[in-house]
Amino acid sequence: MNNIAATENENIVEAQGLRKKFGANIVLKGIDFSIPTGRIYGLVGHNGAGKTTAINALLGLTNYEGKVRVLGREPFANRAELMADIAFISDVASLPRFLKVSELLDLMGDTHPNFNFEKARELLLDTDISLRSKIKSLSKGMLAQLHLAIVMAIDAKLLVLDEPTLGLDITFRKKFYQRLVEDYMSENRSVLITTHQVDEIEFLLTDLIFLRNGEIVLDSTMENIARRFSQVFIDPNKLEQARQQKPIYTRVQLGQTIMIFDGVEQEIAQNLGTLSTASVSDLFVALMERPSGAMENSK
Amino acid sequence: MKIWNDTQPIFIQVRQRIIDLILAGTGDTKNPLPSIRQIASEFSVNPLTVTKSYQSLVELGVVEKRRGLGMFLSKDARTILLAHERDNFLNEQWPRILAQIKSLDLSLKDLMQENAKQENAKQENAKQENTMNEQNNGKQAK
Repeated sequence: MNNIAATENENIVEAQGLRKKFGANIVLKGIDFSIPTGRIYGLVGHNGAGKTTAINALLGLTNYEGKVRVLGREPFANRAELMADIAFISDVASLPRFLKVSELLDLMGDTHPNFNFEKARELLLDTDISLRSKIKSLSKGMLAQLHLAIVMAIDAKLLVLDEPTLGLDITFRKKFYQRLVEDYMSENRSVLITTHQVDEIEFLLTDLIFLRNGEIVLDSTMENIARRFSQVFIDPNKLEQARQQKPIYTRVQLGQTIMIFDGVEQEIAQNLGTLSTASVSDLFVALMERPSGAMENSK
Repeated sequence: MKIWNDTQPIFIQVRQRIIDLILAGTGDTKNPLPSIRQIASEFSVNPLTVTKSYQSLVELGVVEKRRGLGMFLSKDARTILLAHERDNFLNEQWPRILAQIKSLDLSLKDLMQENAKQENAKQENAKQENTMNEQNNGKQAK
């Protein structure tokens, strides 16, 4: 794939030693990560792990310690400029309820340099939302669709979605992500998504970051995750052998022992039972429940 | 919602979907195959995965990338695919089916008999449908 070489030195997001504390409470403990172009990053962690704080730092919504560059700029000092190239749906997103949809589009067109009015209108044609509707009369699903239509109509390089599908039913969630791929994704744009319904988008993601208590526990492409972690339905006669490979997670389901291994060779894992790929939610449980992070024996 | 299994890499599974699509379709070499974006959106997988799936079909010689126009079936797509899929079946699935046949102690005679029975049933059904259609047509004519 030719876009990999081209993006090596032009990451959309670059964070080094990103640290943030509120009083004595250290929310981000100096994390490093970067987001190249053309990728869909999932940022996953428990409530209070620091996801929203990290996002706010990228968007220039909060000050922080450490070095952060978004599209080459320091976000806190250059927020207004940056907003021309970044779109964002926050988990507490609120559109001005007293406006009509058409008025909101006008407002966006007047205030945002990269907003494409016609595109927003086109996107809304595919929904049940009428331009004449008052925003406060829209259902939750419609609000999410409206919000998505508006951010899609912004010619942005980075789209940040903080729990974008919270409270939506499964049909809407599916449609939301389909639109995202169809109307937004391209080789020179990237998306950062946080969500708790991570199994639904696991194949949408190109990369995954696990955040726990302000620290990164896992930061890897999905391809490497599939290579590094293996889930095995253990052959009952090989339990002892399996334990010797030091599984990072073990659970028993209807008498069947299932283990997740980190960095165990495929031939060895295969020998212990039936090999499969661990789902993101299984990995989440495996890595987040561990007393110490998984980084020490990575890579 | 779970449309993928977790025993095969996702790009292989997406590739299989594209292969099924090609084998089922009356696709020709003139019309483009669904775009990477369309497939990615349809299956909710990331476009890089679909790119990889298509890439491996290009390497097989089934699909051609035409610059600026998209993905197209190659001239011998069906022949290559059929050969590939047959190979795949004989090497991957057949041994498992064979093992099952052995463990169930089924003989070739049993299998052929069952085959004949099912063929007969199919023909019977087809006959019945035909007579029913004829009757219906007759009614309509009246």
